Amino acid sequence: MTYLLMGYSVIFALIAGYMMILGKRQKQIEKEIKQLEEWNQEI
Amino acid sequence: MMIKINNSGPIDRVLFYILVPAFLINLYLIFVWSPVEKVMGDVQKIFYFHVGSAWVAFLAFCVVGFYSVLTLIKPKMERFIYAGISAEIGVLFTTLALLTGMIWGRASWNTWWTWEPRLITTLILWFIYVAYLFVRKMEGSWEKIAKLSSVFGIIGVINVPIVFMATRWWNTKLHPVVFGEGKDQTGGGMEPEMLATMFFSIFTITVLYVFLLRKGAQIEKMREVIKKAKTNIINKIAS
Amino acid sequence: MVRQGGDGRLITILTDALTIAAKDLRNEFKTKQTFSMMAIFAVLVILVFSFAFDPTNNAVKAVIPGLVWVITIFAGILGLNRSFTSELENDCLTGLRSGPIDATSIYLGKVLANFTIVTLVQIISIPVLFILFNYRFTGSYFWFILILFAGTLGFIIVGTFLSALSANAKNSEMLLPVLLLPLLSPLMIAAVQAMRAALENENLENAVSWLQLMSAYDLLFFAACLLLFEFIMEGS
Repeated sequence: MTYLLMGYSVIFALIAGYMMILGKRQKQIEKEIKQLEEWNQEI
Repeated sequence: MMIKINNSGPIDRVLFYILVPAFLINLYLIFVWSPVEKVMGDVQKIFYFHVGSAWVAFLAFCVVGFYSVLTLIKPKMERFIYAGISAEIGVLFTTLALLTGMIWGRASWNTWWTWEPRLITTLILWFIYVAYLFVRKMEGSWEKIAKLSSVFGIIGVINVPIVFMATRWWNTKLHPVVFGEGKDQTGGGMEPEMLATMFFSIFTITVLYVFLLRKGAQIEKMREVIKKAKTNIINKIAS
Repeated sequence: MVRQGGDGRLITILTDALTIAAKDLRNEFKTKQTFSMMAIFAVLVILVFSFAFDPTNNAVKAVIPGLVWVITIFAGILGLNRSFTSELENDCLTGLRSGPIDATSIYLGKVLANFTIVTLVQIISIPVLFILFNYRFTGSYFWFILILFAGTLGFIIVGTFLSALSANAKNSEMLLPVLLLPLLSPLMIAAVQAMRAALENENLENAVSWLQLMSAYDLLFFAACLLLFEFIMEGS
C-alpha cells in the first residue's frame, strides 16, 4: 500500500468519522424533539 | 410548541455550496493538475492536506482562545458552545496534521517520528486540546465550567507560541537546520502550481472548518433548547 | 488627597500572602506528612530510574540533568495536588474567600508555600540522586542553583494555578498532571538544557540563553496566572 493512499485514507476516514458523530447527535436531537412533541400533545 | 429542527440559515447553505465544489476542485488540483515532485514522487501530495490541517488546527485553537476571553468578560451560553466545538474540531485536525505528518516523514526519511519543532508543537497542542476538553467535562454548573475552561484556554493559547520558540531553539542546538532538507523545501522552493494548490487546499479546509463549527454549534444550541423545553414540560406535568 | 490607596493595597496583598503561606507551612510542619511522602517518592523515583538506567555506566551521566527535573516534577505534583484539596475539607476555601482577602493573596501565598516545600524536597533528593548515581558535581554551583530556582519557580507558578483549577473536579489528582505537563513542556526543555550546560560547566552562554527563556516563561505566566486567578476563585 503506498503511503499516499494511506495518507488520504486516514484523512477521509477521520473527517467522515466526525461527520458521522455529528449525524448521530442530530438524530438523537430529532428523537428527543419528537418525544417532547408527543408529551406536549398529551398535556 | 413547535421546535425548529433545522435552524441552519442561508449562511450555511452558501458554505455548503462553496464547500462541495471546492473540495472536488481541490482533489483535482492535487491529483491531476499539480506537478509530481521529482525527489519524493507522488507521496509529496500528502503535504497539501497536511499543511491545511495544521493551519486549521492552530486557527481553531485561536478561536478557542478568542471565545474564552469573551466568556470571561461575559459568560454567555453561545460563546461557551463555540469554544467547545472549536476545540473538538481542533482535536480532529490536529490529529490529522500529526498523522499526515508522520506518514510524510515515514515516506521521505523512513522514520515515523522526528523531533522537529513543528511536529513537537503540534503534538503538545494536541495534549493541550485534550486537557481543555477534560476540563469541560468536569461536574458543575455551566457557568463554573465556562469560567474554568476559559481560564485554561487562555493559558493554553499563550503557551503555544512559547512551545514553538523553545522547541525551535532546542532543535538548532541539536540538529542545525540544513537548507533544502526541510519539509516544504523541495530543494529550495516550490513550483508555482504547487504553491497555488497549497493555498487552495488551505482555503478548502478552512471552509470545512467553518462549516463544521457552525453545524456543531447549531446542534449544541438545539440541545440547550430541548433541555429547557423538557424542564418546562416536566414542571407543567408536576403542577 | 490621600495617596495611600495604591501602595497600601499592594502591601496588604503581600502581607496577606505571607500570612497564608505561613499558615500553610505551619500546618505542613505540624504533621510533616506531605513533605515526607514527597521526599520518599522522589527517592523512589531515583531508585526506579536506577533500574531503568545502569548507574554504574559512565554514559548515564548524560541523563542526570533530566533526572533532576523529573524527580522535582513528580514529587512536586504530589504536593501540588494537596495544596488546594486540603482547603476543600470543612469548606476552608469559602472561609478564605469571604474574608477581606484578595484572591491574589491566596495565589501568592500558596505559591510561596508550595515553592518552599518543593525546594526542601529538592535539597534532600538531589544529593541522594548524586550519591546513588555516583555523580561527582563538577559544575558551577552558582548556575546550578540559579537554574534550579528559575525552573522550580515556573513549575510552581503554573502548578499552583492549575491545582486550584483542578481542585474543582472530582478526579482532581488525575486531572492535574494532564493539565500541567503539556503547559510545562517549554520550561522543561529549557531547564534540562540549561542544567546540562551548568553541570558540564561548558557552553555557559547556552545556559544563559536558556535561562532567559525560563525567566520569560516565569514572568509571562506569573502575570497571566495572577490576572486570571480570581476567575478560578469565582467559579468554586
